[in-house]
Amino acid sequence: MSDAPRLWSGSEALVTLVAVSAPLVATILQQGPARLVFLALGLGLATFWHLVFARIRRRWTGWDGLVTAAIFAVLVPEALPLWQQGLALSFGLVMGDLVFGGRGRGFLSPAAVALAFALFSFPVSAGAAPGPASAIAALAGGAALLLARVLSWRVVAGFALAMAALQLLQPGWPALPGATLILGLVFLIGDPVAAACTNAGRWVYGALAGALVALLETAGGGALSSVVFAALLAGIFASLIDQGVIWDNVRRRARRQRHG
Amino acid sequence: MSKRALHHLTAPLIDGNPITLQILGICSALAVTTSMATALTMSLALTVVLTTASALISLVRHHLPNAIRLVVQITIIASLVIVADQILRAYAFEMSQRLSVFVGLIVTNCIVLGRAETFAMRNPVWPSVLDGLGNGLGYSLVLMLVAAIREGLGAGALFGVQLLPLASSGGWFQPLGFMLLAPSAFFIIGLLIWAIRTRRPEQVEPDEFPLRERSGGDRP
Repeated sequence: MSDAPRLWSGSEALVTLVAVSAPLVATILQQGPARLVFLALGLGLATFWHLVFARIRRRWTGWDGLVTAAIFAVLVPEALPLWQQGLALSFGLVMGDLVFGGRGRGFLSPAAVALAFALFSFPVSAGAAPGPASAIAALAGGAALLLARVLSWRVVAGFALAMAALQLLQPGWPALPGATLILGLVFLIGDPVAAACTNAGRWVYGALAGALVALLETAGGGALSSVVFAALLAGIFASLIDQGVIWDNVRRRARRQRHG
Repeated sequence: MSKRALHHLTAPLIDGNPITLQILGICSALAVTTSMATALTMSLALTVVLTTASALISLVRHHLPNAIRLVVQITIIASLVIVADQILRAYAFEMSQRLSVFVGLIVTNCIVLGRAETFAMRNPVWPSVLDGLGNGLGYSLVLMLVAAIREGLGAGALFGVQLLPLASSGGWFQPLGFMLLAPSAFFIIGLLIWAIRTRRPEQVEPDEFPLRERSGGDRP
């Protein structure tokens, strides 16, 4: 794995896997063994697709699919039949990640791609929202990722600022962040591969994602679909934001050299 | 038909396919492929316009001043498209409603102008006709393939005939709503291009941003 991109390598995968296990356990405790069955299927699918692509590309791309499967298993609506979940996860793993050459080479969070596929294809009611136990577990996972510096605090701060600002402008907008929102922020929007990777860009990216979540949620989307589509949209803009920051930096440096 | 002439007809089917190799005409390929009937009508309209336009432009190619050749080409293409659109409205009104603006948009379809510029302007009439027909058929091939996948998985039907019993009416087939949205066509065409280029590696373009070998200079 010596040539793995710096944004994502084995250690990030391991930290994220540890961080996602807390909300995963909370969800399994809340919803019973059904979720466990899906988790097993998801991990199996992830291994399968990684093996397939390892054969096609003649190189091993790591175990990152397991992380994707775990994140997907935490967030997917439980009303979805097993085969639909499997199809959506396969789509996310392959089209969101493996076709680009593995984790860190794509530009979106594969779990967000899988969830978006599920939400587009099989419209179901979100079902029981994750309870407070999940929220606390999500916070713990997020804190672990922040400490490990996989999740950028600038993204979180930008996100919180944008949501708070919109809250002030328009009282009556969704107030308390639920477990889905925290999970989405920590594991989908905060995904280091999808997020912007310049420091100034991270603020902008986080703010954009926050504004999108608030906007989609007032427009009537459920908590899950708002956060998933906000993650996808913000992820698409992340490279542009980074490019803007770099252009600005180049411009300022050129001016400094002219005057200095 | 000589072998050379036949080559004009068959080359654009896969080797030089306007959609999968030249990545032209994507807009209509996304828009009209939700059902096979619309895709077939669109394919027919484009093939007819493309073949006729190629013939006409090749016919007048020696009389075209270079400065205004694009204007004349577009005028010819636009006239043909208007005729095709009017015929559809007269004889298949419902279909023309379903296709909405996309028949009219054949005017701006890069395949038509592209063939006029690169082939019909430099070749006699017969090869131009074959080339136009070949490109039209190549376009149709991809459109029908994408439409078959999208209508089959998105509605369980082909040409509007229900093949798989829908879950909503007591059957077992749960349609993939995603297939009826435009992004799915992007994915299908993308996968198609991947499959073709795996079979025909000579179509693969050079890497625009090759991965650098990580040597001493990089950050730890």
